[in-house]
Amino acid sequence: MSFRARSRRLLREEEPERVLLPILRPLVADAARLMGERPADARSRAASARAAAIRALEPLHQQLRASLERRGIRYHRVETAAEARALVHHLLRRSRRVAKSKSMVCEEIGLTPYLRERGIDVMETDIGEYLVDLEGRGPSHITAPALHLNRARIRELLLRTGADVPDDDPLRLSQAVREAVAAFFEDCDAAITGANAVVASSGRAVIVENEGNVALGVSHPRLHIVVTGLEKVVADEEGALAVLEVLAPNATGQQLTAFTHFVADPLPGQERHVIFVDNGRSRILRDERYRDLLRCIRCGACMNACPVYRVAGGLAYGSPYMGPIGAVLSPLLWRDGRYADLPFASSLCGRCTEVCPVGIPLHRMLLELRADAVRARHAGSAGERAAWRLWAAAFARPPVARAATATGRFLLAALGRVRRPGAADPRTLPDLRGPRGEGLRSARPPHHEPGPSDARRLPDDLLDRFRQRAGEAAVHLLDSYEPAPGDRLVPAAAGIALTGSVLLAGEAAARRPLLAAERVVIELDPARIVPLPRDLEPFLTGEARNDALILTGPSRTADIEKQIVRGIHGPAEIAILLKREERP
Amino acid sequence: MAGVALFVPCYVEVLRPSERERALRVLRALGEAPEVVDGGCCGQPAFNSGFRDEASVVGRSLARRLRGFDRVVILSGSCTAMVQHYLPDLVPRARPLAARVSEFAAYVASHPRLEQLRLRLEGVVAYHDSCHLRRELAGTELVVALLHRIQGLDLRRLRFEDECCGFGGTFSVKLPEVSVRMAEEKLADVRSAGARALVSTDLSCLAHLEATARGLGEPLETWTVADLLAAALEGTGA
Repeated sequence: MSFRARSRRLLREEEPERVLLPILRPLVADAARLMGERPADARSRAASARAAAIRALEPLHQQLRASLERRGIRYHRVETAAEARALVHHLLRRSRRVAKSKSMVCEEIGLTPYLRERGIDVMETDIGEYLVDLEGRGPSHITAPALHLNRARIRELLLRTGADVPDDDPLRLSQAVREAVAAFFEDCDAAITGANAVVASSGRAVIVENEGNVALGVSHPRLHIVVTGLEKVVADEEGALAVLEVLAPNATGQQLTAFTHFVADPLPGQERHVIFVDNGRSRILRDERYRDLLRCIRCGACMNACPVYRVAGGLAYGSPYMGPIGAVLSPLLWRDGRYADLPFASSLCGRCTEVCPVGIPLHRMLLELRADAVRARHAGSAGERAAWRLWAAAFARPPVARAATATGRFLLAALGRVRRPGAADPRTLPDLRGPRGEGLRSARPPHHEPGPSDARRLPDDLLDRFRQRAGEAAVHLLDSYEPAPGDRLVPAAAGIALTGSVLLAGEAAARRPLLAAERVVIELDPARIVPLPRDLEPFLTGEARNDALILTGPSRTADIEKQIVRGIHGPAEIAILLKREERP
Repeated sequence: MAGVALFVPCYVEVLRPSERERALRVLRALGEAPEVVDGGCCGQPAFNSGFRDEASVVGRSLARRLRGFDRVVILSGSCTAMVQHYLPDLVPRARPLAARVSEFAAYVASHPRLEQLRLRLEGVVAYHDSCHLRRELAGTELVVALLHRIQGLDLRRLRFEDECCGFGGTFSVKLPEVSVRMAEEKLADVRSAGARALVSTDLSCLAHLEATARGLGEPLETWTVADLLAAALEGTGA
C-alpha cells in the first residue's frame, strides 16, 4: 500500500492530527526553548561528534571491539537483518522468557515476531511499545511509539489482557502496564536493550530512558544483549555527552531523560553482548549524498516538526521509521522500492533540516531520493514520464511556454477547479484577477489564546540553578537527613546545574538496589556541581571509567497522551542532600 | 544587455497575470527600468518530482536567457531558491546566475532608493511566510520590515508562522488530502489572527490557500508583496 492510500484511510478514519497537533506543537516549542538555554555551540558539538564518528567508523569499531572485550563484553557485528535475528536467537538458546526494551534497530530487523515464532516469550517492557504490541499496528513515532493511541483506546487494549483498569486515567493505565512488566522482570531469562551510543575509547554503552525498564534490563543477572546500529559508535565520552546535551530536549522536551546509563563491566555472573547491525548502513556510508544520514541520533525532532507527519500520522509511512527521517532512511535500508514513495510525502518545507540537532540536510536528501526513485523506475508512471517530457519540450522554448501558460489559464478558468477521480479535494479556483481590497477592510480583532509564558529566568548562581532545575525534575532537596526504612543513601560524583541531574558512579550506580528502594537519597557536594552535561567529562574519564548513571528525577513515563506519570520502575521519590565534603 | 530583469515565473502567468504589471510599477517607482523575462521556468516542478533531466533542459534555457543581466528579480521566493541553491548543481552554466538573483520583495527591501517610496494603505493583512523565503533565502525579517513601511497597514504575524501551508508544488497534486489538511490548519491560524487578507512573497502558497478557503466557503483575499506595494503606491497618489 502507498503512503497516499494509508494517509487517506487514516485521515478518513482516525484524523491523526486531532491527537498529534495539541501534543507536537508544544513539544516543538519546548525543544526550541531548551535548546535556547544551551550554549549556541550545542548543536555543532553534537553534529561534529557524530560526523567524526562516521568519518572514522572502521577504526573506531576496531578500538571499540578491544575496549568491550577488555571489559568482558562480547562484540558482534552482523551484515544483514537475518544474521542479526539468528545471532540473537542463538544467544537466547537457553532463554524462554525475554524482557525487551525499546530499540529501533530491533523494529527494523523484525526481532520480536521472529523470536516469538521460535517459541520465545518476548515482552515489550517500554510502556508505549507494550501498548502498540497489544494493538498490533506497530509504533507511530520513534520515541513515543503509542503517540497515536488515546487513553480510551489504551484502556480497551488493556482490558483485553485482563488488567484491572476501572477508568482511563493515564496514571492507572501506566501502572497497569508497569505491574505486568515488573512481574515479567521477576521471572525472565534475559534482557534485550538498544543503545543510543557506544563509546569506542571506554567500551561503555550509553542508553537513555525514562521508565526504569532499561535499568532492569541492563542489570539482568544472567544475560544482557544490546542490539544497535553500526553507526552508533562515538569516539569518547566527550562525544557521548555532546549527543546527550541535545538528545532529550529534541526528543521529549526534557533536560535529560530520567536515566542516562553508562553501562560498563558485566555484573558478576552476567553475560553481556553488544550486537552492531549493518543492514545497509555501510552502503549508505559509501554514498556521499546520504552519508550524513548516519549522524542521526533518533531523537524524532524532524517528525515532531513535520507538518506532513502531523497530519497523516506515523502509521501512514508503513515503516518502522516514520516522518522525515523515515522517508529518507526507509528507501535506503530497503532497496526493493517498497518505500520509494515516502520521499514524496513531503512539501519540502525544510523544517526537518532546520530542527535537526545534528545538522542532517533531510529535505535535500528527500530530493536526491526522488531522483533516485525516478531513475530506478520505482516512481513515475509512464503517463507522468511522458508529461514531464512534454513539459520540458514546451518550457525550454519561450513562445511555446507562453502558449502553454495561456492554455493553462484558460483551462483553469473553464474548469473552476482541478477535479481528480477519487480525490475529495475542496480546492476551488482562486480569483485570477488578483485581490480587490475588500479583504483588507473586513478584519476582526485577533483572538489568539495567550501562549504559555515560560519566561522563568534561570539563576546565574550554579547552586541556585541546580536547585531550581532539580525541583522542576520533581526531586526533593533536603537540608538535613532523617534516615527512614527503605532508604538507599548514595553519594553523587557530580551534579549538573542546567538539568538538575546527579551522576552516580560505581557501586552508587548499582541499579537494582536503587530501584528497590522506597526513597533514594543522594548526597551531593555543591562544589561538585558543574554547569552543563558536557562538563561531566572529567568525572567519566581517567580513573572513572566504571559503571555510571545520570539521574534526572524519578522514573516517569509520558507514553499515554504525553501525560507525565512519575515513579514507574523504582522509587517515586528522589531526594538530594546538599552537603559540603569535609576536606582536610 | 546589462541591467535588471524581472523574471515572471510560469505559474504567476497562469494564476495572476496582472501581477507583473504591479511589480513593474513598484520597480519603476524605484527608478528601475527592468526588462521582463517570461515564458520560462526555473525547472523546479520537474526537479522536485525527481525528473532531473527534464528540469535541467528547462533550467538551462532560462539560465541562457538571464545570462546578460546584472540583476534578476524573481516574483517568487520558491523560484529564487531554486535558481540560487539547486540550479547551479544541475546546470553548471547557471552558477554565475546564483549570486545575481533576488526575490522581488527582498530586492525592494534592500533597494538603495527605498526611502523614495511613499507607501500608504489602510487595512489589515496577515503575513504568510513562505518556507523557501524563510529557510532557503533567510528573507523573512527583511520582507516584514518592508511591509511595516506601509503606513496605515496593520500587519499581523501568524502564531505558527513557520509552519508550511501545504502547497509544496507537485506535492499538493500527488497528496491532495494531506496538502489540504495543512492548508486548513494555516487558514485556522489566519482566522485566529482576525484577518481576511493574506500577504506573501509567493503566489503559489497564496493560490493554494485561497483555493482551499474558497472551497470551504470562507473568502480569503490574497496579496503578493508586489500587489500590496503597488496598491500602497496608489494609496499615496504615486
